[in-house]
Amino acid sequence: MAENAVELHNVTKCFSKVIANDDVSLEIGKGEVVALLGENGAGKSTIMKILYGLYSMDEGRIVIDGKEVRIKSPKDAISHGIAMIQQHFSLVFPHTVTENIVLGNVHGWLDLKEAKEKVGMLAKKYGFPVPLDARVGDLAVGVQQKVEILKALYLDARILIMDEPTAVLTPQEAESLVSFIRSYAADGNSVVFITHKMKEVMESADRIIVMRNGRITGNVLKSETNERELARMMMGEELEVESEEEPIDVSKLPVSIEVVDARKKNRDGIAVLDGVSFSVHKGEIFGIAGVSGNGQDEICEAISGNMKLDGGKIIFEGKDITNESVRKRIEEGIGYVPVDRYKDGMVMEMTLSENMMLKSSYSEKWVKNGFIDKKGIDEYTDEVIRDYQVKATGHSDIAHNLSGGNQQKVVLAREIDAGRHAIIFNQPTRGLDIGAVDRIHRAIKGEKRKGKAVVVVSTELTEIFELSDRICVMYRGKIMGIYNRGELTTGRIGLLMAGVEDGKA
Amino acid sequence: MISILTRAVMMSTPLLLGSIAEVFAERTGMMVTAIEGIFLMGAWGGFIGTFISGSIVVGLLTAVLMGFLMALLYAFITVYLRQQQIVVGTAMNILAGGICAYFQRVLFGIPTTPLQISVLEKIPIPILSDIPVLGEIFFEQNILTYIAYLVIPVSYIILFKTSLGLAIRSVGENPEAADVSGINVNRIRFSTVLVAGAFGGLAGSFYTVGYLGMFTTGIIGGRGWIAFAICFLGNWNPKGAVFGTLVFGLAEAISIYLQSTGGIAIMPNEFVIALPYILTIALTIAKRSFNVPAKLGVPYLKES
Repeated sequence: MAENAVELHNVTKCFSKVIANDDVSLEIGKGEVVALLGENGAGKSTIMKILYGLYSMDEGRIVIDGKEVRIKSPKDAISHGIAMIQQHFSLVFPHTVTENIVLGNVHGWLDLKEAKEKVGMLAKKYGFPVPLDARVGDLAVGVQQKVEILKALYLDARILIMDEPTAVLTPQEAESLVSFIRSYAADGNSVVFITHKMKEVMESADRIIVMRNGRITGNVLKSETNERELARMMMGEELEVESEEEPIDVSKLPVSIEVVDARKKNRDGIAVLDGVSFSVHKGEIFGIAGVSGNGQDEICEAISGNMKLDGGKIIFEGKDITNESVRKRIEEGIGYVPVDRYKDGMVMEMTLSENMMLKSSYSEKWVKNGFIDKKGIDEYTDEVIRDYQVKATGHSDIAHNLSGGNQQKVVLAREIDAGRHAIIFNQPTRGLDIGAVDRIHRAIKGEKRKGKAVVVVSTELTEIFELSDRICVMYRGKIMGIYNRGELTTGRIGLLMAGVEDGKA
Repeated sequence: MISILTRAVMMSTPLLLGSIAEVFAERTGMMVTAIEGIFLMGAWGGFIGTFISGSIVVGLLTAVLMGFLMALLYAFITVYLRQQQIVVGTAMNILAGGICAYFQRVLFGIPTTPLQISVLEKIPIPILSDIPVLGEIFFEQNILTYIAYLVIPVSYIILFKTSLGLAIRSVGENPEAADVSGINVNRIRFSTVLVAGAFGGLAGSFYTVGYLGMFTTGIIGGRGWIAFAICFLGNWNPKGAVFGTLVFGLAEAISIYLQSTGGIAIMPNEFVIALPYILTIALTIAKRSFNVPAKLGVPYLKES
């Protein structure tokens, strides 16, 4: 790279007690696509938010086009040609696409006509079919991202930062995003994308900067590295590969959960569960594979009691629990890790201790003399923080302040404790980095060895194969088949997930 | 009949100014719950300004200043100190009542006859006021009513046709998005509330300077809250506010008419005051789609 668009020199940033960036220096060349790779909480987003003016740095310098600049707000960053697309999009849902794009970039009269023309031209140039007068809230997530990108283009951004851009996209959308990135960079613009997905990095980056614990641990050209080396830079150690589990014969194990002919129609009258039957044995992991939205969430909620079935039965440890309340099921010892920990798993404004007793607040366990046993729960939470290596300063941390992986560890710990006999995991590692995934997988396997019945729903095939003793594939509310792990290949399971009977094309 | 309608337009004036001020503030996410107190301070400011100086213009300016100062205090505490808007507003409404009562006593003691000031004159607009019926209803009003007429289109244009309006609307819906787009969220909220306060003060002065010519601490009697409710009822849109305002201006005119004619008070004044709330609740239950600003009442805390 002959010229650098951006240089960061010795940037340090602390959030109260935690160092988020420790003496970080990096440069981004003109026309270059840089991947910023690292675990959650490694400081990737922080350093980019500093560059974009959302955070102020404690120490360090920013140089753009060879000149030192001060960036105190996004406004400053925008004026230097920097645009950043946040992980959670920054769009005003009730406003139209065009209004969103011009927000902050117009003065005086709102000339939407002219703006629309310019946006329309940009959209055409990069092949983004976006309805300019539609309300942003009505658009699909993939289209919303295009609106964000158009906004950056509208600003004539030369340096585009994207935080986890593919997290919300389908594989096809992700592919079209990568091709956009390539053509945009080919025009001499720079792109930084923040990610923890190795595959993405190898597909689209020119250069890879790896961060760990707030420091840069690697800065390599893609052509000169490989996934194994990157993983080591990210993790700081070689990943411990757990040996293949011995196949087990589940027929000899006692049955724990039995789902009999479960049926459910959604509000539009479409069957989301269409006669689902299976049984899960004690001491096995029952994997449910499938493209998301094929009834997996419903089956989890039917077992946990959050959703009532239209027909069929749920039997647990020999008892019919179909009509029992959620609380009763918790008392029976069923743990449930929901898919959306933000929505269903935690109260983000409360402390870790409070979240820990969320599901068992009425239980005798945390009550002393009629009051909450504050000391007991705090001590227990600190224990969990230690055992699960949760990155938090202590039991009084607010859940909101933890990274996604660490929040998930807390939910997991709570549910593993609550699920004395059975635990349902719905996408337990979605959005987490390799290190956290590994630790969570080990914890799930540990629970199985204790003789609990475990259900794991996942859309990641690697996860299904890694964990499951038996695998069932769901498609449009039906079970396509239940197989022992050894019976399925990636190709066959792919066909089952696409609705091909028996997976034989 | 015509005189009732003329009176309805007149009584709508402060409600219109107040509710549009509230619409602007709430679009940025700021409920100005101090509006009752702002009205009262405006009414009092208009009164003492006029009484002491003898000039209505000075009175009106004093009213604007009072509203502005109230808003300044309110906005500082809620925007920058991020305190609960309802609590702060309630406290300030009580405070305003106390301030007015106290200084009124300090300045004037307890007069045996109510102190009077001259009120704004009706200014018939040439030509327009000659239109039959409509002329008398709309164009033989005082200056504040004409200002209110101007505020309607101007506020609509600012809110929906300018970049400032877009910023105001965005800040109330998704402050993070506005911030990322280079807009200073708290500055927009702060300054919008100040402007709203100034207009609220002007609205309050209508009750003393524009109409009664005297001051009592109960002069506002919940009308600030009516303006507050009209903002909801009008779906956070100046157009809706005009509609809501006319309904209550009419209700009030009828109530005054009934009282003045010595007719049986079929409709007690309390009912008139409760009416916007009853209507608001009824409409909400009827599930009319309201577009409440998503971040109404939520302080914005920027991480840095």
